[in-house]
Amino acid sequence: MAQSAVILFWFATVAYVAATVLYAYFFLSKRASYSWYATFFTGAGFLCHTASIGLRSSAEHGTSLNGPNTLILSAWALVFAYFVVEHLIRMKVYGTLLVPVGLVLMVISQLISVRVGAASPLVENWKIGIHVALIVFANAGFFIAGVGALAYLTQESQLKRHRTSVLFKRLPSLANIDLLVRRAIAFAYPAYSAGLLLGVFRAIETDPPGWWADPRVMLAGLVWGIFATYLVLHYTQRASARTTAWLALAGVLVVSVLAVIARTVPAGFHVFGL
Amino acid sequence: MHLILVGLSHKTAPIEIRERLTFPAHKQAEALTLLTSGDAIAEAVIVSTCNRTEIYAVASGADEGVDAVIDFMAGYHSLDRHELVRSLYLNHGESVVRHLFRVVASLDSMVIGEAQILGQVKEAYDYALNNDATGKVFNKLFRQSFEVGKRVRTETEIGENAVSISYAAIELAKKVFDTLAGRTILVLGAGKMSELTAKHLVSQGVKSVLVANRTFERAQELAERFNGEAIRYDDLYERMHDADIVISSTAATHYVITKEHVAKSMRGRGGRPLFLIDIAVPRDIEPAVNDLSNVFLYDIDDLSGVVESNLEERMREARRAEVIIEEEFASFARWRESLEVQPTVAAIRARADVIRQAELEKACKRLGNLSEKDLETIDALTCAIVNKMLHGPTQRLKQAAEAKDGYEYIETARHLYGLDDSEGRGHGRLRDLLNRRAKDVAETAGNEMGDSLGC
Repeated sequence: MAQSAVILFWFATVAYVAATVLYAYFFLSKRASYSWYATFFTGAGFLCHTASIGLRSSAEHGTSLNGPNTLILSAWALVFAYFVVEHLIRMKVYGTLLVPVGLVLMVISQLISVRVGAASPLVENWKIGIHVALIVFANAGFFIAGVGALAYLTQESQLKRHRTSVLFKRLPSLANIDLLVRRAIAFAYPAYSAGLLLGVFRAIETDPPGWWADPRVMLAGLVWGIFATYLVLHYTQRASARTTAWLALAGVLVVSVLAVIARTVPAGFHVFGL
Repeated sequence: MHLILVGLSHKTAPIEIRERLTFPAHKQAEALTLLTSGDAIAEAVIVSTCNRTEIYAVASGADEGVDAVIDFMAGYHSLDRHELVRSLYLNHGESVVRHLFRVVASLDSMVIGEAQILGQVKEAYDYALNNDATGKVFNKLFRQSFEVGKRVRTETEIGENAVSISYAAIELAKKVFDTLAGRTILVLGAGKMSELTAKHLVSQGVKSVLVANRTFERAQELAERFNGEAIRYDDLYERMHDADIVISSTAATHYVITKEHVAKSMRGRGGRPLFLIDIAVPRDIEPAVNDLSNVFLYDIDDLSGVVESNLEERMREARRAEVIIEEEFASFARWRESLEVQPTVAAIRARADVIRQAELEKACKRLGNLSEKDLETIDALTCAIVNKMLHGPTQRLKQAAEAKDGYEYIETARHLYGLDDSEGRGHGRLRDLLNRRAKDVAETAGNEMGDSLGC
């Protein structure tokens, strides 16, 4: 079963590579047929990816929460979120921007080493499973928003500077990108809040006085605050779309820092001996 | 069978001549009947638009066909033949096919990539079809040309980017708002250019039009045309707050809209962007307005730059379209070749020779030791039989091919000799493979039977 999981993982990676190449070609040539094939390969990769995660989980009696597995789950959530976005907004060009990110996460998951040790009893709890699942989904949503925010700022800058490059022609309108960013954050934020809440409950259960003294908890609070500000500013229309796009980008930057740097700092209770 | 084209277009004739040579829809039936009533023209299609009048014809002879078409054009429109010929271009054979493919792909149009020409050629073909003026050749050629037009439009971006100032403005506005439905535009100045741009914006679903002009009556006049609202010039800056798009084209010699005005109107807009189009010379809107957040300003030079860039893009796409045309041309040429008499006669002879040699080889094996002289005699005998058998039919085929519907004889001959069923023709490798296998099996069976009979 474990061997099948590995084979399916590589099938998924190859399918994402094919989809990335096809999306890139679609982006440059704008031939609709390439986007169809790209979506097909993304779908095929996603199915293999899902089966691989399922088989590995069965073989190992659960999914361990180490770095590579988190990246694999994040890539899966990102592709899943992409399909949801594609269904809602119908802009194939987002595949060009998001599928390569999923592929990069898959590749990185194979490059980083796993420290094997005894798992902390802290993670042996149902709350942690749901906490991780919600955070992974929310991060995927935030990532989509981040890529959208970057596209918004690029498109806005080209409109301001009166440039009509290939990128200008391929990227959707400002209104459309802004809608994507807002929806992605609006969907991800409740999941993130619920995930944080569960994590906080579990942390308080384990370490009532010092639960907050953890770099990931602190940064997660910052992420929560940034996206809360984004939503307030956007829905009360107190800031321009440009300002909120910068805010979304800052939020995603902190999410990345949280995922990479805070994990490497051996402090607080997010050190599980893995 | 000769393909010919006689025509004139914006490239060869001024409007004064083009307008005298049109064939409007209600005259097409009569014109087509006249054109095909003689012996020279077997099939005809008349393409008549504001930029071109072209007569495509299948004629029994190239020169006779061209003469017949020119006589028809001159006679029908009561023009002097010599004067007419100076504005015409003539094409024969392959160049007619290439020309038609370029026309439907809108590579020969005044504005490369314009979409109307494909519909106009389709309409012209429909008239010809309904008046029995087309046959096998034009039915194939024109249907394939529509395929070319369709491929060029779907596989390239030849018609994607705006190549006029007003459409470029719309394209840019859509890059900001995505859709113009439900938006409000403010037209400042009641000039022709702003009216034209406003007209295009309204056709895209703009909800309301506000018109401001120094002379209020002119503003009212223009507003009425768009079911809009005329506003007093003094209320301009206040009402700019409601607008999503501002088109300015006044005759003022100073900036009418300054950065300060726009900054004020941007307050309390709830993050709604403002797109300003300044088509006035000298400019009406202070360029520094573009520095404001959520404000996008394009003046006439910026829009011209967009148009130029789009034209370059269309030229690049035109090169991709040429590749598609070559592919389709090759496909049509293969089909047409099958209707030519010389390749058909050569193919019949080649097939007969293959059979003769195979049978000769078998016979020689059975006859055993033959001298060199005997072999030469038998070879000459079989050659003579084949040549005499084929001489009459091929001569008559060549004569028949010269007639008006000669390709029908050629097609019949190809069918009788099974030329289009042989390898290399047909619909794919699988069929070729099956044919080859079937042929191998048939030959093996023939050999076995021959041997068993001891012939």
